[in-house]
Amino acid sequence: MKATCWMGRNTVEVENVPDPKILNERDAIVRITSTAICGSDLHLVDGYVPTMKRGDIMGHEFMGEVVETGSGVPNLDVGDRVVVPFPISCGSCWSCRHELFSLCENSNPNARLAEKMFGFPTAGIFGYSHLTGGFAGGQAEYARVPFADVGPIKIENGIDDEAVLFLSDILPTGYMGAEFCEIKGGEVVAVWGAGPVGQFAAASAKMLGAERVIVIDRFDYRLRIARQNLDVETLDYELVDSVPEALKELTGGRGPDACIDAVGMEAHHHGPAYAYDRVKQAMRQETERPIALREAIMSCRNGGIVSVIGVYGGLMDKFPIGAVMNRGLTIRSGQCHVQRYMRPLLQRILEGDIDPTFIVTHKIPLAEAPRGYELFKHKRDDCLKVVLKP
Amino acid sequence: MDVQVRAEDRDRLARFLGWFSIGLGTAELAAPRALCRLVGAADDGLAPQVMRLMGLREVAQGGGILMRPRPTTWMWSRVAGDALDLALLGATAATHRRKRTAFAIANVLAVTVPDVYESRFLSSKKGPARAGKLIRKAVSIHRSRDEVEQAWNGASELRRKVEDAGASVRFGDAPGDRGTELVVEFLYAPPAGEIGAAVQKLTGRDLATQLADDLRRFKQQTETGQVVRSEGTPDGHLLAEHLKQRAARPLEEAVR
Repeated sequence: MKATCWMGRNTVEVENVPDPKILNERDAIVRITSTAICGSDLHLVDGYVPTMKRGDIMGHEFMGEVVETGSGVPNLDVGDRVVVPFPISCGSCWSCRHELFSLCENSNPNARLAEKMFGFPTAGIFGYSHLTGGFAGGQAEYARVPFADVGPIKIENGIDDEAVLFLSDILPTGYMGAEFCEIKGGEVVAVWGAGPVGQFAAASAKMLGAERVIVIDRFDYRLRIARQNLDVETLDYELVDSVPEALKELTGGRGPDACIDAVGMEAHHHGPAYAYDRVKQAMRQETERPIALREAIMSCRNGGIVSVIGVYGGLMDKFPIGAVMNRGLTIRSGQCHVQRYMRPLLQRILEGDIDPTFIVTHKIPLAEAPRGYELFKHKRDDCLKVVLKP
Repeated sequence: MDVQVRAEDRDRLARFLGWFSIGLGTAELAAPRALCRLVGAADDGLAPQVMRLMGLREVAQGGGILMRPRPTTWMWSRVAGDALDLALLGATAATHRRKRTAFAIANVLAVTVPDVYESRFLSSKKGPARAGKLIRKAVSIHRSRDEVEQAWNGASELRRKVEDAGASVRFGDAPGDRGTELVVEFLYAPPAGEIGAAVQKLTGRDLATQLADDLRRFKQQTETGQVVRSEGTPDGHLLAEHLKQRAARPLEEAVR
């Protein structure tokens, strides 16, 4: 089959690889009909997530048709149409039973590696380095889905792939980021990053009852997409001297009640702080360029919530712990517990509360995946989300 | 309940200095001329012979530190060795490339500080030396105690390994709804101390590492009914394989 492979830093190629096989009885094989490139895939391509190996198949956002099941997958039949969540979760450990699916205690066969890095291991993830298990990803024609009796959600009606594909990751991720903000009605929520996750976080914050949502980015077309599709305000950070100052004045001097970091480890900015982090990151002295996170912390109102759904990999410099402690901020974060949100969000989509298709700007064949990565990484051709068609 | 812990008298710093001795000594034995040039001494005549002798001394001291449960004398012998090194370098400084020798003296002084510190620390210890340390590996399994004990009884290979090592096994109810805690404890005192431990690690016979893998797999088996495999790690969790990952793509041939 054809698969999108990581071939070294800044190199993605579509290669011919063997077809996947069932390795465990709770596996299923899915013929992929749609798969997407995620912002976190760019961290892999840019070489900021360690433990990638040349030849790894990438991709963790995918859906398709079940073509084979192991004997331990009674819930799926050949021919079923499914969306596959990106965390691989066993469904039976304490974490899974408490809906902390991205913290599954069993699904990472490289647990010790992750333990050394993070203290405790996290769940396996498709196509996302060997730290998260070394599982082949879904930017391919077929994928093996472990614990297929737990993760995949069946799509029973004829709804388009693009309307449900993002249940695999970014829609639940954005939603969880908004849910962290404990919105009860009347809040102001600021969202750093108008990429796909930021768009869905902003949409979810609105859906959950935030009174105002302010989306921060530097790409006009992305801010425009947010304004046109969501009832939100936008802020181009390159037009202001200081984002925290600007937000303060936009919120009656209080600061946003909750701040969502949907940017993560490769933030951009102008000014000396950016240069400092850029150099340290390039020299591998820190893994993060945490400009958005620092801004989110400094901007948040006293006693507010900072919700971190942008991806971080290791260690950061100049973490403003003094602001967090003295101003009583709450930080909430995590890789999304996708399985927890798939059914309720599918319901929201079917009921028309949210139409996730507005973020799709490019639909291209799988064979052109390298071009898709170029478009997405360099924000060419007003690219916001690339869907690949095997 | 009092938490039982037990560490060796030979602590981290002593272990570091022991391995440092062996590393430096090996270099001095293997390439005495290069090291002579490095410290600004002549690389012919008597100097390389002296260098080799010093190498022999370093290796012996390193071995002693790593093998004795409380290597107080061996640590003090390092301090004496430092003094000897400084005397020899002092004699060299008057004759040859002074900058290099000064740099070498600075390096010896830098290691003399931890040598003296650790020697005094070990000297302050009273009572019989503690050899070996208590190793504890614990895992929580989200199943009732009956189920876990039953699964343990079924895991004959793992049980035999634990029994052969003289390890104790305890089952306990985990707090709240967390299931059952399984705790394996044993006293780890390999023959030849730290050297023996290194050999066991290199040959994969290190029980602590094996148990970490085994308990993880036991938990997987008990909770999910299978050992989790990925394309990069098709044989499931094995620490020894962590650095020998395959690419995360389907294998040419099915495993097992």
